[in-house]
Amino acid sequence: MKSAAALTSILVTVFLSGCAVMSGHPQTAEEFRKAVPGAYLGKVESFEVNRPFRDVAGTFQKKAPECLHMTIKTTSQTNMSYQVIVTTYNPTVLVSADKAELHLQQHHEAGVLNVTKEPEGGYYLLVADAVPVDRNTTRVDLYRPSVGFDVLIKGIKGWASGDIQGCPDLTKI
Amino acid sequence: MQTLARAAFYPIARLLLPVCLLTACSGIKPYPNTLEENLHLHTMTESGSLFSSVRAAVDIYRVNARCQTEYQGTVALDSSSKAIGIPVDQPSYLVFDFASSSWLASSSSSISYDTLLTPRSGHDYDIEVSYLDDIYNVAILERQHRNGNSHDVGQRSLGECTPR
Repeated sequence: MKSAAALTSILVTVFLSGCAVMSGHPQTAEEFRKAVPGAYLGKVESFEVNRPFRDVAGTFQKKAPECLHMTIKTTSQTNMSYQVIVTTYNPTVLVSADKAELHLQQHHEAGVLNVTKEPEGGYYLLVADAVPVDRNTTRVDLYRPSVGFDVLIKGIKGWASGDIQGCPDLTKI
Repeated sequence: MQTLARAAFYPIARLLLPVCLLTACSGIKPYPNTLEENLHLHTMTESGSLFSSVRAAVDIYRVNARCQTEYQGTVALDSSSKAIGIPVDQPSYLVFDFASSSWLASSSSSISYDTLLTPRSGHDYDIEVSYLDDIYNVAILERQHRNGNSHDVGQRSLGECTPR
């Protein structure tokens, strides 16, 4: 189970950027946004929440460093193998008057060999853009993996809607 | 003679080893709850699956004037309410640990939420601890005895401790 989760995480990192080995991984959030729609394991999802933009931006600013800035160690063992993967997640939140961006990058400290250039802070895993629609409605565009990371995506959607106050358990992604 | 001693030693060692592992040797000790109770912990955990479970606990550390921590003990948090006392007007470092295990996959993991808390005299603290479907949360509410006024207490990292 753990091996499968670790493998999914690595495959997503590789395929999320659309034939990454040939063209290299996105080095910025903007490159990531452009790469995800055509990527094998990428997905763009948009939705609206009944919350003022300022509240959504404030929640991203509060929850991202609290919940996503952490290092996770995954150990998997079978009869034939023993693997330890250490992953550091680095969130960045940028807020302007009409847009809030949440970027999540992941850097493998151990257990994964990088074959392409890694951006500073790690490979991009997810970008969430929130923009105001009207006084009480905010649209969120999620550039995300299409498989795995369910609890992470549930957490970010819940922060946007205000339904979730807690943190996603990053050991479960 | 040596054989006899060895024969006597092994059963005793076999008996003591689990006891040792479960108590002192594990490094975990129950928190000596001797102070006036000022933290009221309300816990709810659900793993979201029949084949897995989640256990919650809080490790309590005293923080000295140089911001160094000293482990005081652990309180297991089951799905009920518990009250404990920690020193007022001096910082304590609380580490809430959520340990998950899955019987089907023989896997286990744990994640923690840590915060510095300096309880004020004349105040109580209601702490809602939850782990529901892979989402965990610790919410601390400070309540004044005198008038019942309350407000949220945010997370403070150990790095925010300033030497006194």
